[in-house]
Amino acid sequence: MSGDLAFYGFAALTVLSAFYVVFSRNIVHAGFSLLFTLFGVAGLYAMLAADFLAATQVIVYIGGVLVLILFTVMMTRIPRRGAGGRGLDRFVPAGVFALLLFALLYKVITGTPWAEKAPVSADPTTARLGASFLTDFVFPFEFVSLILLAAMIGAAILIRDRRPAADDGAGGAAAPTGEEERS
Amino acid sequence: MFETLALNAPSWSDLRHFVPETVLVVTFLLALMADLFARGRRPAGPFALALGGCLVALAAAVSSLPAGPRSILGDLVVVDGLAGFFRVLFPLIGAITILFSWASGEIMGPRREHKGEFYALVALMAFGMCVMASAADLIMLYLSVELVSLTSYVMAGYMRTSLRSTEASLKYVIFGSVSSGVMLYGLSLLFGLTGETTFVEIRAALLAGRADNFALLVAMVFVLAGLGYKIAAVPFHFWCPDVYEGAPTPVTALFSVGPKAAGFALMIRFFYTTLLSPGGGQAAAGAAAPDGVIVGPADWPLLIAILSVVTMTYGNLVALRQTNVKRLLAYSSIAHVGYLLMGFLMLTAAGLEAILFYLLVYAIMNLGAFLFVIALNNRLGGEEISDYAGLSTRAPWVALMMMVFLLSLTGLPPTAGFIGKMYLFAEVINRHWFWLAVVGALNSVVSLFYYMKIAKAMYFTPGERAPLRLEPLHTAVLILLAAPTLALGVYWTPFKNFVDRAVAGFAGLGG
Amino acid sequence: MTIGLTHYLVLATAVFLTGLSGVLVRRNSLIVLMSIELMLCAGNIVFAAFSRWLGDASGHVFVLMSFAVAAAEAAIGLAILVEIHRLRRSVNLDDLKTLTE
Repeated sequence: MSGDLAFYGFAALTVLSAFYVVFSRNIVHAGFSLLFTLFGVAGLYAMLAADFLAATQVIVYIGGVLVLILFTVMMTRIPRRGAGGRGLDRFVPAGVFALLLFALLYKVITGTPWAEKAPVSADPTTARLGASFLTDFVFPFEFVSLILLAAMIGAAILIRDRRPAADDGAGGAAAPTGEEERS
Repeated sequence: MFETLALNAPSWSDLRHFVPETVLVVTFLLALMADLFARGRRPAGPFALALGGCLVALAAAVSSLPAGPRSILGDLVVVDGLAGFFRVLFPLIGAITILFSWASGEIMGPRREHKGEFYALVALMAFGMCVMASAADLIMLYLSVELVSLTSYVMAGYMRTSLRSTEASLKYVIFGSVSSGVMLYGLSLLFGLTGETTFVEIRAALLAGRADNFALLVAMVFVLAGLGYKIAAVPFHFWCPDVYEGAPTPVTALFSVGPKAAGFALMIRFFYTTLLSPGGGQAAAGAAAPDGVIVGPADWPLLIAILSVVTMTYGNLVALRQTNVKRLLAYSSIAHVGYLLMGFLMLTAAGLEAILFYLLVYAIMNLGAFLFVIALNNRLGGEEISDYAGLSTRAPWVALMMMVFLLSLTGLPPTAGFIGKMYLFAEVINRHWFWLAVVGALNSVVSLFYYMKIAKAMYFTPGERAPLRLEPLHTAVLILLAAPTLALGVYWTPFKNFVDRAVAGFAGLGG
Repeated sequence: MTIGLTHYLVLATAVFLTGLSGVLVRRNSLIVLMSIELMLCAGNIVFAAFSRWLGDASGHVFVLMSFAVAAAEAAIGLAILVEIHRLRRSVNLDDLKTLTE
């Protein structure tokens, strides 16, 4: 069936690119690989009849978060060795841990009689979601706006340059310039 | 594709039961705006607004203690006795933090920027913590935890030109985001298992036997990872010492009591509502509210007991080795979480009363101890134990007040900490968890050693002799905190009554 | 076998654990932040899948909220990262040793 094929396609795209994000040595490649993961997830949302989620995933994650990440990758201009050893000594224990956890969760997922109903037709969800954000879920909707406001203020507090000469250290000062504040 | 839900849209009138929270949000916004007009080195406008707003919220909370549980805002928030207790506690903590930030060099020093926003963020965090205490739905659980976390990250990194502060903030962000990712996954499993997002409906689904016990346990452990990180219980505590040491001390003081208490509030509401069935339980004699019966995996209190023992033992043993007082207090706060978890796993009204009483006492005495560190950091520029040498001759009254806080943290009479521990241990013994009580008692003895290390430096190690004068504001607030620490050790009935009323009105135990 | 709920759950678990291993293994804090995004994505997939098979819209609401939170978290996290990079020209977690005993 073509639906199955599409699922496996998106699934493969998501998982393989996720692996590449985590294990690649080159941070720029990792960033771009994340793009494919996020696209794969958007595709999965589309297959789950979550049209609005798919669109939002593309706009917010790819258009927002990913661009932010890529900007940071470029801004921090990490030298090649900065991507660091891949931490091979940690690979084995972490891999074993992840596999064990996967086995456990696989058992939970396949062993649980989920209270599923047969999926109904894939109507557009946008209107329904819009209505619920202005009725039942109006409080979380407003609450999230506070979260975003806090994040905005926070980011401004953390990186706004008020006195570039004093703080930036852009003059090629490679040594750590962290003043130990003991005033 | 979705069935139509019954619309129980929130109305404006719901806000009548949400006054303290509304006041805090308005305070946040006003303080932000006032900051735009603030001129000069000390932003008096935002400071006064934030302090005033917290006090108004406190007054509103005290004057409108909720009688019984009331679901508001589309059943996503419940205002009951428990929420009523915490909405008194959090504005209080916020106000005290704002007060001691005003005279602290770490926040108000000449090199600091964005001082006005700092006060605004304290108000926002107090709001987030109040919502954590009244969240009745998985969505509000997740969002309120995130709001508190995000403001915490920013405040931890507030001294942005300091390497220590920024590093603390990055560690906090990474640990915090990981545990929130784990929690989100757990919440999604829980949603799938029960098909519900409201705590009460989750319990109904579990009672109807709709969920597999093993899967439920796995989902709950994932959720516990997120909440355990908020209270800094042991396998999820790694961020805690570094963040406490690196963050500006007023912020550390806030972290050590605020998010911790909020995490406990949320844990109590979430686990007591979803995994406990009220009513049918064996009502303890004399208890105001009936005790619960376990729904779902029967062993989960034992799991929490192990967590509690590991947490307090680890916190106390590592605290022994510390020489930096902020770090020492960080580990000691981990140990206190262990004691509080003992009360949590009793699943009784009396246990809950003990937790709330202890949280109140802990907030006062821990803020006091941190205020001492802030006040001396302003003068001595450090927070090593050795910096306090000879303090008893340099500033005898301040040293004496710190002694009171230390005795109280250890749990020795005649201080509030003793009464708090007494209630906790009494309930643990009452419920026949003898081994737990023994471990807890041994841990308290261990804690005596490191608290007394500070006392020893103050009283018996010779140091400078020049008298030391603190900021008057700091001295005033120190007295304000030391007085109840002593007074509550002698006469605590009104506070106990206040706490008992809160538990009696807690929706989770059928109040 | 047609694609069912279980397929989506297993897939999400794989993504989740990939992200978790990234957090555990990698020392570059940018990669760690990307791994965290993967973990959040996994949770979202599970929510969307359950929403589909339970016929309940709250899962979608949850996912949208989580988008906003993820964006906020990324903004703060990356801001701090840039600040750290300014101060010490490195974003490697192993270099963050100012605060160890």
